[in-house]
Amino acid sequence: MYLPDGYTTLEKLREAGEYAEYDLFFGPNHPGMHGNFGYVLTMVGTEIVKVRPNAGMLHRGFEKAMENKPWAANLSLIPRVCVPDPDPNEVAYCQAVEKLLGCEVPMRARFLRSITLELSRLGSLYMGMGGLAGALGHYSTMYLMMIERDLILDRFEALTGARVYHIYNIPGGVRNDAPEGWLESVSRLLDHIEAQMPEYDRLLYENHVVWKRLEGLAPISAQEAMESGITGPALRACGVKADIRVDAPYAAYDQVQVDIPTSGGGDALARAVQVRLDFAESVRILRRLIAAIPEGPVHADLGNLAKLRVPAGDAYSKVESSKGEFGYYVVSDGGEKPYRVSVRGPSLPAGLYLCHKHLPGMKIDDVAAWMMSFAICPPDIDR
Amino acid sequence: MTPERFSRMLTEFFGDAAVFADKGGAQWEVHAPRDRCLPLLSFCRDHSFVHLAFISAVDWIAENQIELVYHLWSYEHRVHLLVKTRLEREKPWMFTAHRIWGHAQPYEQEIHEMMGVFFIGNPDLSPLFLHNWKDKPPLRKDFDSRAYSLKAYTLEGLGLVPPADKEDANVPS
Amino acid sequence: MEDAVLFNLRDEKQSAWENVLNYFRKRSMWMLYYCTGCGAIELPPSMTSRYDMERFGMGPMATPRQADLLLITGYLSVKTLKRVIYSYEQMQDPKYVVGFGSCPINGGIYWDAYPVINHLELFLPVDMSIAGCMPRPQAVLDAFQKLMDEIQAGKAVGYKRYRRHYDWYKRNQDAVLARTQAVLEPWEDPFSDPALVESLWKDAPAEIRERQEERHDA
Repeated sequence: MYLPDGYTTLEKLREAGEYAEYDLFFGPNHPGMHGNFGYVLTMVGTEIVKVRPNAGMLHRGFEKAMENKPWAANLSLIPRVCVPDPDPNEVAYCQAVEKLLGCEVPMRARFLRSITLELSRLGSLYMGMGGLAGALGHYSTMYLMMIERDLILDRFEALTGARVYHIYNIPGGVRNDAPEGWLESVSRLLDHIEAQMPEYDRLLYENHVVWKRLEGLAPISAQEAMESGITGPALRACGVKADIRVDAPYAAYDQVQVDIPTSGGGDALARAVQVRLDFAESVRILRRLIAAIPEGPVHADLGNLAKLRVPAGDAYSKVESSKGEFGYYVVSDGGEKPYRVSVRGPSLPAGLYLCHKHLPGMKIDDVAAWMMSFAICPPDIDR
Repeated sequence: MTPERFSRMLTEFFGDAAVFADKGGAQWEVHAPRDRCLPLLSFCRDHSFVHLAFISAVDWIAENQIELVYHLWSYEHRVHLLVKTRLEREKPWMFTAHRIWGHAQPYEQEIHEMMGVFFIGNPDLSPLFLHNWKDKPPLRKDFDSRAYSLKAYTLEGLGLVPPADKEDANVPS
Repeated sequence: MEDAVLFNLRDEKQSAWENVLNYFRKRSMWMLYYCTGCGAIELPPSMTSRYDMERFGMGPMATPRQADLLLITGYLSVKTLKRVIYSYEQMQDPKYVVGFGSCPINGGIYWDAYPVINHLELFLPVDMSIAGCMPRPQAVLDAFQKLMDEIQAGKAVGYKRYRRHYDWYKRNQDAVLARTQAVLEPWEDPFSDPALVESLWKDAPAEIRERQEERHDA
């Protein structure tokens, strides 16, 4: 390869016809890709010109499968829609069914739902921080975050019997009460997390390499975010105080105080800092929930759940997951199986639409960091 | 913004075409015929419903119609609005909402693949999730997923036979 | 064939040289880090210090060319199957395939789903299957121990099977991936007729047509 007199910019080379465009497959088989998803990037040098998303490798036909199973049996399928953060899906589906049934969920069940939601959020934010570190090449932090997430999975195993997919929420409440000493073990876990948070800050957020890589990457304004369907931490990072736990409270979030910290800025660094702010807020909310949880029954009496019949109608229920808005639109015709269940995942607007606006002009090194900053998690794109 | 005020605004702009209902629990819905649907969506977007959550399609096979539901949310008034429109089932088509909300394009692409609805003006309606799909759009009610899976992914269904040398016990039949 | 001394295709009984080689191969398996499905979330806990796969000589590897072990973590949609076959064929011999979870065994929870295949062993030779949905890290490590024993005993020879019965595997793969006809009943998209689409544009109310056209040019 020869170099012309002096170094010349990519544009001049392109104008002179020195560089040809080529196609690069970023993913699905790629360690920087978060999951089984691909972008086919048309590139010039190391700069992206055009992007074509290659989705569908995680497509399982959930919406069709859910029409063939009874209402309560769908709960075995539903946590699998989002792999790192399965509980918001269960809660959204159960809430939509409860809205159609018109049944009241007992208060203790609502608190237990919120506690498991917050624990799941912590686990998913650990993966978010770890994934961001991994995308920037910072593998020690990634491994540390995975280990810390395991402590949360231990608590889930004591409560529900399973580490990752809990199937804990049922229409009308939760499956079983917390065992003896479980709430104390969660409090001990929170003590451990709070003691470790300065370590996470030192590793990830006081690291000037992370700042240099993420500052100014893919900025987005608040108006553009709201009009592009962006929700969750990416929206709060633009300064918008929007959180479904406050805007449309569900479970026990109207019983405890929920603040909405926002990092302004709108670029990838602000989104990374937002993850950290959400993390700290989640720990605080968990402490308040554990302090305020009442006694009582843990599920409403709906008879034999295997033969549940839901009155005709439709309802939409949404929850705030660690990545954004998870919504379930449930249509019933009065039978034993749903007529239609339509799932809204938070990653599709960023993964399939914003990629066309942000990726052209970006260097290939930043694509993994861009994906992690928007928390694009492919299972809920493909469902 | 109370439901009554919004309902009055709708009647003022769209007359009888837009049918409003308050479903309770901060969920409203508006039904409109296909040709008034896009101006209605524009109207809602200009009156605080800036967030398009997603677009659902429901196959009402008994009524021979496919229903499109646009889910909108207002950050200002904290209300969820469902804009519904019905299309005929043999040739379901609709104008694209891509010019109002850019991220409607992938949702419409998915509905085209899964339900067979054609969106006029959508820049890209190529297959998104399925590989080399030659059958009916899979989310339609008359598509049997179980029969498809048993026929397409088992040896009997594929009409294939086990290999010739049977003495090799390791190869599955 | 010429490589029969070192690489015994016809016989399952291994030579003394292969015995020695297998002793070293089993202690240095590098797995291809391709997260094909939901089971992949239990891989980071298996790799990190709590359960620590690396003490067995296993570690993640980015490219298929340098990997020995292909983990199918969970279900396989048809699109993923195509990429997994490419990755498997790019790996060098000897190579091993481990199916995670119940989905590669019999379809698992997605057995009646239209995009997900039900039996992986029809398309790729599977050396070890781990039951569970999803398997815990302890189950994963136990399976890797068993795989190491099978490699030493000369039983984990899926790569030899693939070579010997390549036509059979290829035929199965093409039956799913290179389908030319519909499986249940053929579907004719009414909108593939451009005349119909043109007529719909023409019949549109004027204001929508203008707005669409002006934005189309913009």
